Amino acid sequence: MFQLADFSVSFGTATALRRATLDIRQGDRLGIVGESGSGKTMLALALMGMAPDAAKIGGRLTIDGQDMTHASERTWQQMRARRVAMIFQEPMSALNPLRRIGDTMMEPLIVHEGLSRAQAQARVLALFEEVGIPDPAARLRMFPHELSGGQRQRVLIALALACNPALLIADEPTTALDANVALRITDLLVRLARERGMALVFITHDLAAVARTTKDIVVMYGGDMIERGPTAQVLAAPAHPYTQGLLAARPDPTVPPRDATGKRRRLPTLPGTVPPLAALPQGCRFSGRCSVELPQCAGTRPTDHAVDPDRSAACHLLGAAP
Amino acid sequence: MWYFIFRRTAGFVATLFVVSAVVFSVMNILPGDPALTILGLDATDDALAALREQLGLNQPVLARYVSWVWNALQGDFGISHSFRVPVSELIAERLPMTVSLAVAGMIFTLVIALSLGIGAAARHRKVGDWGVMFISQIGIAVPAFWLSMLLVLLFAVKLRWLPPGGFAGWSDPVAAMRSLVLPTIALGVVQSAVLARVTRSSALEVMRQDFVRTARASGLSRRRVLWRHVLPNALVPIVTIVGMQFAALVTGTIVIENVFYLPGLGRLIFQSISNRDLPTVQALVMLFAAIVVTANFVVDLLYVVIDPRLKART
Amino acid sequence: MTRRLPVNFILGAVLVALVVGTAALSLVWTPHDATQMAISNKFAAPSATHWLGTDQLGRDVLSQLMAGARNSMAVALVAVLLGGSVGVALGLLASALGGWVEDGVMRLADLGFAFPALLFAIMLAAVFGPSLTNAVLAIAFINIPVFARVTRGAANQVWTLDYVLAARAAGMNRFAISRDHILPNIAAAIIVQATIEFAVAILAEAALSYLGLGAQPPASSWGRLLSEAQTLMYIAPQLAIYPGLCIVVAVVGFGLLGDGLRDMSDPRLSRER
Repeated sequence: MFQLADFSVSFGTATALRRATLDIRQGDRLGIVGESGSGKTMLALALMGMAPDAAKIGGRLTIDGQDMTHASERTWQQMRARRVAMIFQEPMSALNPLRRIGDTMMEPLIVHEGLSRAQAQARVLALFEEVGIPDPAARLRMFPHELSGGQRQRVLIALALACNPALLIADEPTTALDANVALRITDLLVRLARERGMALVFITHDLAAVARTTKDIVVMYGGDMIERGPTAQVLAAPAHPYTQGLLAARPDPTVPPRDATGKRRRLPTLPGTVPPLAALPQGCRFSGRCSVELPQCAGTRPTDHAVDPDRSAACHLLGAAP
Repeated sequence: MWYFIFRRTAGFVATLFVVSAVVFSVMNILPGDPALTILGLDATDDALAALREQLGLNQPVLARYVSWVWNALQGDFGISHSFRVPVSELIAERLPMTVSLAVAGMIFTLVIALSLGIGAAARHRKVGDWGVMFISQIGIAVPAFWLSMLLVLLFAVKLRWLPPGGFAGWSDPVAAMRSLVLPTIALGVVQSAVLARVTRSSALEVMRQDFVRTARASGLSRRRVLWRHVLPNALVPIVTIVGMQFAALVTGTIVIENVFYLPGLGRLIFQSISNRDLPTVQALVMLFAAIVVTANFVVDLLYVVIDPRLKART
Repeated sequence: MTRRLPVNFILGAVLVALVVGTAALSLVWTPHDATQMAISNKFAAPSATHWLGTDQLGRDVLSQLMAGARNSMAVALVAVLLGGSVGVALGLLASALGGWVEDGVMRLADLGFAFPALLFAIMLAAVFGPSLTNAVLAIAFINIPVFARVTRGAANQVWTLDYVLAARAAGMNRFAISRDHILPNIAAAIIVQATIEFAVAILAEAALSYLGLGAQPPASSWGRLLSEAQTLMYIAPQLAIYPGLCIVVAVVGFGLLGDGLRDMSDPRLSRER
């Protein structure tokens, strides 16, 4: 349904997304994992046709076979909400504070599907039921500030689902929420994707959430897609040094926080920080921070190497091995 | 919310009293004999004494202040010396002129400034944006009375499309509207320029917020997002300025009425100054100041209407 | 670190230099005596002797405009200095003492906003008769609350800085701290405000003089020149153009200069303006 081929987004000399290739089919549940600045949000915005005006776009993006790479705003308006919808990181600020929930919810239904207010309201109530919002009728008259964070995120999910999109992109939907609320939201997203046969792209830096929600995973770093494959396999045996580092940096719940002598254990961390976009190395984006570095890493961009039939990683180590 | 409204109302009433005290002090306590000011240096002692008696100048200052406020509250501002009629009658006669002009100026300002401001924000960092910013920079600097003269030169003297001044009342609505066109533009341009800038920067501020992205993500057109989502949220700072601008427009009518010879309160105030008609000047200054204070008070109350979050908080 | 000067600063500085230069020049030289009448030569067209022609009394228009610049600058300077120093003093006092003094001063400042310069000038004119002094007083008066607010806001921030706390701990009294530490730190904000208020003052003076509440004949003032020109609009429309242009140039100049200074003193403030 959604295909990216050699798709790039750049701002002047800085490349936010470099030659990304992706194929999203009906029923896919894809996790996109990376630190901030890895290009994952830019990828999501590009799939919505909402990359900033200043961005230069290259490559090709097709939706249902239609080339959308340089589609007009008007064409995108028809796609958004109906084919692809998105929920954002901050449920607190993602709803218009001056509008009642009901008005916000009904607007796309009235605009896109030409429903009457009464019809739209019935649909909204059904949607609220579906995403598990208690007492839906009362919520319609409320303002965003009267709802909790978890409730607001549910409203945003309902809003995204309003026009039955084929793909739902969730950009860090749980980062701003309490842990147990977050868990319920991720489970809700999986349930909805299953029930509706809708594709789900789940963007996060939380590996546990990815493991719980997705079938496949793409790991991103510095605008490159560096590793991909079935979620369980990639997380069990990561092939790319960056993915390995990312997993190692995750606090292990089986290891007690203090060692035998009572001293607090240091969490393993990835050395260094993600450089700013314009300062990224030309070759492998991870070179400079990588623990196993080859001479060609800094200058030559590694190609995808198959790890398994359905897994690949972009790393010179894998090419050099055989 | 009710506590908020109550507190603001109390503040408003208190401010009005202090303003009245200031006006009264400047007009009465500052050195100088009002009777002498009114009648001139060649007045006879008898006439001066009679006038002092009539103005109540023989009573203590405080008593005069109290009776002025008390009477004013009942709509009695005393007798005009030059016109020999109650000041309240003079005001009632001319108020419609001034109100028509101020309201027309406000509507003009809102229409022009909101479209320009929102339009500029939508074209941020593009030609349209720079154009609006440039024009508004000039607009802010143009004195209203000079703009009036330029408008008269062009539309009344050269093109002869509109009358150069005067106002014959609302009995002929078309003529009345035609007489109001140039004054309205002259009055509104400066305020539009200010408001357009405020609108633009406020809208830009709102456009960075997350819910604007949500609205776009649900497939709404840019135009719809701009007018239905961005504008209402940008209104809070805009309303603050609009309150101050209404006040500026009302006092601006003083200037404009004098340029266009419109028979309103602004003309009256100047006639009264040249006639040394102190009670009239005092009443009019108080009236204008009261309008300014009231405009700001109304703005405070409007916040509650605009932003539902305030209702909860206060 | 060198940063490029903001465009508005450069443009503003050029316009201000032009206006202030003209005003300064008029102190020592004008093409003709601005008040010298020559009825026989009235409404003369621009020529080598009268670059912008003459008015209804045969006075040289350019010389009058130059004298008007001087007048405008003088009024704005005195009014802003007068109102500014009172306002700054009140603001510093409010900030230094806090509590009910601060509340009181700020309430008074709110009140000041209820009186536009025009209303105040009208009151003064009604009681004392119209004069330039009254116009200056009225403009100075409206500057008091403006400066009091800006000063108090900026000063309150400085009071929380470590070295001010240190000075207090060292036993310096509040007034000495205000003078030695607070004032130098908020000078930039005050200068920016003063530049902008200068533009406002020029506009106010022009309006008051136009209405006959400011400069009295035979003193030249842009506002008064315009009010004279208004009655002659059918005969000599050009007389209504020049003084207005002068006002616009001066006001735009000081406005841009103020914006530019603010951009330079605090880039954060100007990000999206």
